[in-house]
Formats: sequence, C-alpha cells, structure tokens
Amino acid sequence: MSDLLVDSQIRGWVFLPIVVITFLVGIVRHYISILLASQKKIELQQLQDSQVILRSRLLRENSRFIPRSSFLMRRHFFNNEENGYLTQKRPPVTQNMMTDPTMMTDMLKGNVTNVLPMIIIGGWINWMFSGFITTRVPFPLTLRFKPMLQRGIELMHLDASWVSSASWYFLNVFGLRSIYALVLGENNGADQARQMQDQMSGAAMAMPPDPKVAFKAEWEALEIIDHQWGLQEVENQIVYPLNSC
Amino acid sequence: MNDLSNLSWSEARDLLRTWRDDNDRRSEEVLQLWKSVLEYNLNKLGGEKFSVLEQVCLAALDCYQIPTVDYCIKQLSNEFPSSLRVKKYYAMRLEAQECYDDALTVLDSLIKKDETNNAPRKRKISILRAQGKNVEAIKELTEYLKIFMSDIEGWQELSDLYIAEQDYNKAAFCVEELILHNPHNHLLHQRYADIRYTQGGYDNVELARGYYCQALKLNQNNLRALYGVYLTSSSIAASPKCTAQKKKEMLKLVDWALLEIKKRYSVVKDTFTDNNIEERLSVLQIS
Repeated sequence: MSDLLVDSQIRGWVFLPIVVITFLVGIVRHYISILLASQKKIELQQLQDSQVILRSRLLRENSRFIPRSSFLMRRHFFNNEENGYLTQKRPPVTQNMMTDPTMMTDMLKGNVTNVLPMIIIGGWINWMFSGFITTRVPFPLTLRFKPMLQRGIELMHLDASWVSSASWYFLNVFGLRSIYALVLGENNGADQARQMQDQMSGAAMAMPPDPKVAFKAEWEALEIIDHQWGLQEVENQIVYPLNSC
Repeated sequence: MNDLSNLSWSEARDLLRTWRDDNDRRSEEVLQLWKSVLEYNLNKLGGEKFSVLEQVCLAALDCYQIPTVDYCIKQLSNEFPSSLRVKKYYAMRLEAQECYDDALTVLDSLIKKDETNNAPRKRKISILRAQGKNVEAIKELTEYLKIFMSDIEGWQELSDLYIAEQDYNKAAFCVEELILHNPHNHLLHQRYADIRYTQGGYDNVELARGYYCQALKLNQNNLRALYGVYLTSSSIAASPKCTAQKKKEMLKLVDWALLEIKKRYSVVKDTFTDNNIEERLSVLQIS
C-alpha cells in the first residue's frame, strides 16, 4: 500500500499549534477557575448533623467498651421518641435549591469555565484547522475508529490510522491531563475529564444531602444494636497468659 | 541543646517539619532554631515558609517572646491579609498578654464571620479557663460540644474541668466519649477507672477493676493500672456485698497483681530487698 506524504508545513502550522493552544487554554482555565472559585459555605446545622452521625457510628462500633448504662443513655439521646436527635422532625431543605442565588452563580461559573471554552475553542479549531490530516498512529486500526480519529474528513479509502486535525484537538483535550498535573499540581482546574464528570453528576451532587435519610438509617442501625459488655472476663485474659509464660 | 544552633537551614527545616507532623510542641527548641538559623533564611523555605512561621508563632507565644510573635503575625498577615487563621494568632497574642477583653472582641468577630470555624470558639473557652472561671468554661464548652460533638480535644478538656470541679459522674461521661472515639488507648481506660475508683461504692469499684484490667491488657507495662487492679480487687474482696465465690477470685487477682508488681520492681532494681510493698500499698487504699 502506498503511503501518503504529508506536507511538513502541516506539522508547523496545524499539529503543533493545536497542542500549544489546548495546553494554554487549559492553563488559562485553571487560573480563571481559581479567580472565580467561591468558598463553599457550610451551615452550622449541617456540620452538627454530620458530627452527630459520626458520633452515633462510633457508638455503634465501640459500644462494648463502655458500661451498659452509659450505652443506653447515649442511645436514648439519639433515638428516643419525643426529642432524640435522630428522630426529630426537620423541615425539608431541598425545595429552595433553584431560588438559592449562590447555587445559581455556582452553576453559572461552572458553565463559564467549562462549557463555554469547550464550545468556543472547539468550534474555532474546527473552523480554522479543518480538513487536515495531522498525524498517524503507528499501528493499524479497524474501520470503526474512523469517526473517532477522522472527524471532519470523510474519505472512504483513507486508512483508519490517520488522525484528522479536529480529532487531534480532542485527543489533546483529554490527553494533556498528566501534563497539567505536572505543571499545575494535583486537583487543578484545567482537568477537562474531571470537569466533565462533575458535569455529569452535577444534578445529583448539587442537591444538599437530605439529613433525614441518613438519620433514618442511623436510627435503625442504632436501634438493633445489642449491647455486649466487652470487659466481663478481661481479668482472666490478662492473668492466665501472663502466668503461664 | 547546643548543637541545634549549628544546623544548616535545610536540616533545621526538616527538623521543624518532623516536629510539626508529630504534633511535637518543643517550643523552646523551635524558638532556638528560629533565632539561630531560620530567621535569616526565611525566604529560602519557599512554600513551607508560612507553616514555619505559624509554628514559630505558637512557640514564641508559649515562651512569651512577644517581638517574635509580632514579627510572625506581620509576615503572615502581609501574605494573607484577610485570613481568619492569622487573626486567631493575633487574638492569641492578646491572650498571652492577658488583654482578655480585647482578645474576646477579636474572637467574637471571627466567630461572626465564620460560624463553622471551631478554633476561635475553643480559644474563647481557653480564655475562661485561664481566668480560672471553671464553671463558665464548663457551660461554654458544653454549648460548644453540642455542635462539635466529635471533637476529642473538647471532650478531654471537659473531663479535666469536671474533675477539677469534682463532678465525677460527668467527668466519667466525657471519658466514656473519649473511649468511644479511641478504644485502644490504654490511658483512657486507666483514666476512666481512676474516676470510678475515686467515686467509690461497690459497683463503681467493680467497674474500675474491669477498666484497670482492660488498660493492663492493652499495655502490659502500665504499672499504674496494675496498682489499680490490686487496690480495686482488694477493696472488692473486703466489701460485705461480695459473695464468697467472688471473694476467692478477687483474692487470687490481688495475689497475682502483687506478684506482678514485685516482679516489675525486681527487674528494674536487682538489689530490691524491700518486702513491705503490701504495707505501702495499703496507704494508697481509699477506705
């Protein structure tokens, strides 16, 4: 099969510029997201809830180290019918999400730093560098890879291992991740793949976790615990092994 | 102490880092390192500069070196002008100089800015403690623990305060909480047993015996717990509530504990010839 000869100017004017542009855009995005980042405010109530959950979990796990009466006292505090912490009634908190202005600005900032550059730069690159064959992967590929690697070039007979400029851009967007980690440190804002994941689960994540569900689960788990006093026979455990040796 | 001054700045940095990671306070050594080496090499530290400054600031507060404290705070606030953490150090400086009212106003403003930050609240309680207002400190601390329930330091402090006020039942509750958080620390079990033993009464002493045994199980070298086992079990054996069967067991435990204690002493000191250990133990006994 005769090989294609690619003009070396393509390397200088298409292949390398795409890498550089993608990289620089990532850096810029990192700094913009730092500028726009707003500190997440935690409500005092939320904090208290999480600490209560933590404490009741510890109570479940380590209850054998405290006397029975102490265990019952603590369980009563968490679980009693009238005013136990885990059985109290709470007004539902999930309703006001859309009206909460901080939520809206957070979403807007997310869009500004993630989606907009993706669309604008992607579109611009598609328009500017369309139709070039930039590189080729050094192994044969099946026809199914054609739409992935040869976006923007519809040539039936072109070998699938050639990569078009638009696809080269996408490969860069997702492939520069470790370079960013090297340059900007871990957890940087330039990481497109992570941002995409955030976007995917965004709807579910943004909702403040409903304490009611967690409380219900914790209440149930605490209710079925049977207190076992762990120090009953402890003197036998210390006396005999020591005596025998 | 003297070889601390001869370290190079990178060795000093590494030493400080180890201390920081291990939660080692060592204020005097830190201050000495700072004075002799690091003060002149501050900019070589790079990103670690500010952690070092914080550490030195705390050390200087411990040793009452106000000029050094001021220098550190100034450096930190130049870099982080609106940081609540740096403002907390400023409040601690005021506290060290016993300007408690000014410190309180600063801390109150910090709490107002960020309600979920527990550090200024804890400082407020420590001010009350420094002023000797134990009762108010207890009140504040219980309010604090209602929100920050899993703060181990808070529970520990509260148990100390209750012991100082001789409210042993509540102190025991706090230590129980500590045990729940960290069930493998023998000192906590020992502390709990101490409290129960101090309270007295058959049930409490029985409980104390269990916890002394547990402490001993976790750490076989805990001599205090061994003494505790001896004292509690002999007191149980002497109690009229004790059944004959139980009494036999207890006496066995007494003998064992005594034997162990003697063994410990003979290991430490070959020439240990004092056979009156029993007599001296009876002095410790609470009747």
